[in-house]
Formats: sequence, structure tokens, C-alpha cells
Amino acid sequence: MFDIFIAPFTDNGFMVQALLAGTLVSIACAIAGTFVILRGLAFIGDAIGHGVLPGIALAILFGFHGIIGAAVSALFMIGGITLITQRSRLSSDTAIGLLFVGMLSLGVVIVSRSSSFSGDLTRILFGEILGISRIDILIQLGATIIIAAIAIICARPFLLLSFDPEQAEVAGFSVRLFHNIMLFMIAITVVVSFQTVGTLLVFGLLIAPAGAGALLARRIKAMMLWAAIFGIISMYIGLLVSYHFNLAAGASIILVAVSIFFIVFIIQNLRHRRTGNQKDIIHG
Amino acid sequence: MKPGRYIILVLMAALLNIVSSCQNADTGIKPSIVVTYSILGSVVQELVGDRTDVIVSIPNGLDLHEWEPSAKDIEKINKAALVVRNGLNLEAGMEKSLDTAEKSGAKIFTASDHIAVRHVESHEGAHENEDGHHHHEGASDPHLWTDPVMMKAVVEALIPVLKIELGIDASIRAREIIGRLDYLNRQIADTLSSIPAEDRKIVTGHESMGYFSQRYGFNMIGVIVPGLSSQASVSASDLSNLKRAIQDNRVKTIFTEQGTSPAIAGAISDETGVKVVELNTHVLPADGSYFTFLKDMADTIANALTQGSRGQQ
Repeated sequence: MFDIFIAPFTDNGFMVQALLAGTLVSIACAIAGTFVILRGLAFIGDAIGHGVLPGIALAILFGFHGIIGAAVSALFMIGGITLITQRSRLSSDTAIGLLFVGMLSLGVVIVSRSSSFSGDLTRILFGEILGISRIDILIQLGATIIIAAIAIICARPFLLLSFDPEQAEVAGFSVRLFHNIMLFMIAITVVVSFQTVGTLLVFGLLIAPAGAGALLARRIKAMMLWAAIFGIISMYIGLLVSYHFNLAAGASIILVAVSIFFIVFIIQNLRHRRTGNQKDIIHG
Repeated sequence: MKPGRYIILVLMAALLNIVSSCQNADTGIKPSIVVTYSILGSVVQELVGDRTDVIVSIPNGLDLHEWEPSAKDIEKINKAALVVRNGLNLEAGMEKSLDTAEKSGAKIFTASDHIAVRHVESHEGAHENEDGHHHHEGASDPHLWTDPVMMKAVVEALIPVLKIELGIDASIRAREIIGRLDYLNRQIADTLSSIPAEDRKIVTGHESMGYFSQRYGFNMIGVIVPGLSSQASVSASDLSNLKRAIQDNRVKTIFTEQGTSPAIAGAISDETGVKVVELNTHVLPADGSYFTFLKDMADTIANALTQGSRGQQ
């Protein structure tokens, strides 16, 4: 038992670092992801994940930290999406889609014709959770604290925004302002996580644990708690699976997270059917 | 004049222009040779001198496995009198274009057809599972340029092809190059002779040093990214096995290459205390010479493996 579940971590420092960074990412994703699920922002989360590529590429090219480039890209995307939806009759998903493919193509074009990026594209998209350094963990810790702080400070407007946007306006909160703050929070989550699970796979961590949490709980805090637990379990099991079955680490983690969602979904459905049947009997 | 007519005129002018430029290309003085990557391109260039144009497809420094040709590059391939490629799936991103060109009549010379191809052995590297499952057993190694003797075979095989396809007699130049390759081979062996037998162990970014190791008696302990290409994703067991292999074999240096993840190399280095040294395995040096390239490679390895196990890079 020890050899299977514990030894891979005690023997290898990089596994511990991965789990530590992964836990922090999971917490950040649990908070941001719950709002993504409740507000139906999955598409923009996905779009930011792809759209940060040109920023990261340019940052690496000019010798900056990738996170700075990713942040600029994300802000540019959110700004562009807001501008298009406000100044035209087009829906937000059209605006998101436009910036999504535009930025992704720009990123691929930059990466494909520069010698500084051999192999980097896959690393940006799929992350390098096995190559986490102490600084990476500190950055992730900082980001997780910022995300938690935003969620606490904006708890009430976010709650209203998630369940009853009209009520939020009545209560005196600017829907547009808090919507943008929420997008900003999602952007930080995606941007920082490109080092750990990658900008593509972070999307899975953003919605799978939070989705499972939303199935189980009705209150936001409980959803987030479940999401964080599922995320951390996914990290641990995913890393173990990668270790024992010789599989790519980032993808293993996301596969576990998505599997957990489906397990919760199936159990829920079976239980509902049973309770549903019982109700029928009582009423009958 | 109506705008419609004007547009037609412009189009006709453009068309004429295209036709005339095509003719220029067809009646061009020199037929060209396209070589897929710069290292082989440098050798071919020395072989033909200025008797024909040598065009290198993959720009020096870009990832050979991943690079994909643009429309213009494909045009050059199709127009060339001869295309020289490495083969064994080195130019993975070009494979489709090369196949298409071959079907439409392009003459393609595959360097790896003319060498003793090395197969990745099962005991190599840190990609073995405990259950004895070897996932790269028998894969052909395309990195033939790390051994000057292999390059010699390629040069010899090119002589008749250049004669037939381009009417170029390269035998005198070839003899001279072969002589220099023999000398280079002795030089490298001499440079490496300072490394004691127990330190002749290398860990590299990906499996690129097979021919070199085979020629000069090195043991390939492991690779950071398993597989012959640089794009595969790393698993936790690969990394853990590599770490153990480095410690068990008292490896003195981790060599990173173009495309090796600095983060992963750094993590392994932190954990094992083994230094990381950059090794150029794919890029021509500033003087564009294959000979300098291999000499530098041997120097880097000799320097790294004769120093202490920790400390300066």
C-alpha cells in the first residue's frame, strides 16, 4: 500500500512540488470554476485558455516571464469581447469565438516561425506540472490568495450575479463592473496555471470539479468546497496514475477530474431515480 | 473607363506578369538542390560548391521534427532538381509534402538509406517500466549526423546521384570531404580520450546522441523526454526512473538540447545535484560548418565530463 500510494511522493521531490502546486491550482479553480458554472462562462474560460498563447510566445521571445504576456493577452481578450458586445448587435459568444481563434492563430504563427520555441507550444498548452520550481509555487500561492480575496470581497454581488442578475441591479451593484471583475478572476486563474497544467488543460480543472460540486451542493460555499476536494483528489490520483502507468501527467490529472464528474453525475442520477420512485409510491 | 474594365485590365496585367516570371524560373541558369535541414545542407553545399544552388528548407535552429513547410517551401521542393532528406521520420512535419512531391516526379535522395541504421535498444534510457515493457524497442534512430563516419557514407552515396540528376561530377570534392571527415573522426576520438571510461555516460534532452555514443563508446543512461522526437509529453514514472538512473550510474552531467524543457531539466538537476549543460545537437554554428558543429559537440561533452560533478557549467 505504502509503495503504491505514498512512496512515489516520498521518493521524488518533483512529485511533491507537483502535488503542492496542483493543490493550489485546484483551490483557485474551485473558486473561479464555481462562478464559471453558475454564470455560464465556460466558453470564455476556454477562449482565454487558448487566447493567451500569443502573449506567452511574445513574452518568451522578448525575455519576459510568460505570465506577464499571458496577463496582457487575457486583458486584451476581455477588453475586445466587451467592446464587440457593447458596440454591435453581435452576441458575446460570437465575440468570444472571434478573439479565441484570432489569438490562437496569432500564437501559432508566432511560435511556428521562431527558433526560440522548439517544443514550447505543447508545453504552454499542456503545462509542465513535473517541472514545478519553488518560485512557481509561490506565484501560484499569490494568485490563489488574490482569487480567494476577490471572491470574499465580492461575495454578495457575485452571489446575486450568479443567481439573479436583475436583483443585483436593484441592490445597487453594477452588473457590468462585477461581471468584468469575475472575468478578471477567471483570467488570473487561467493565466497563472499555464505553468502547471497548461492553458488548455486548466479548462478541465476549472469546470470538471466545479461541475461535480454544483451537482452535489446548492450553496456556493459548499460547491466550492466540493470542487476543491475533487480537484485535489484529481491531482493526487492523476499524478499516481502518471507514475504507475507511465502516462503524460497533465492529461492524466484532467482525465481523473472529468471521470470524477461523471461518477458523481451517475450516482446522483441513480439516487434521484430511487427517491423519485419512492415519492411516486407515497403519492400513489 | 468603367471600373469593371479597369479591373479586367489589372488582372490581365497581373496574369502576364505571372506567366513571364514562370518563364524566368524555368529558364533559370542553375538547377537547385533542396536539403531539408541545415546540417545536412552544409555538407551538400560543400560537396557541390557553387555549381548549383543549395536551398535549406527548415531554417537553422527550428525544430526538425515539428517544422511544417509553407506553400513557398513546397514550391521550392517541387521545382528542385534533387531533394535531399534525412529520412526515418526526422522531418515529420515535411513528410506529407515530400511524399506528394515524390509522387509528382521529384527526385528524392534519402540519406538514411545509405547508412547502417541504428535501432534504439531496449536497455537505453529511463523509459523502462519495472515489468520489462519497453516502448521504443527497435525504433530507427534518425540522428545520423552525430557520427562523422555515417556522414561519410552519405557523401559517398550522393556522388552518383549528383552525376545522374544534375550532371555534376563531385568526386574530387567528395574525396577531399571524406578525408576531412576521417580526420574529424580521429580528432573527436582524441578530444574524448580524456574522459575516463566510468564517466562515459550521458543523459540528453531526447534520444539524439545514439550514433555518437555508438561511435565513441558512450553509454546513454537516459533522456529527459523519451522517444526520438522532442514533442512527447513526460510522465511521472519516466522522470522518476531517470532520476534513479542518474543516481545509480553516477552520471556527471545532464545535457539539454534545443527543445528540452528547462523546467523539467532543472527539477531533475535540483533533485540529483547533477549539473545541467547545454549541448548543441541540431543547430549549425555561426560559421555554418558541419565540422565545427561536431568539434564543438565533442568539446562540450569532454569539458562537462572531465570536470567535477557539481559546480560550474
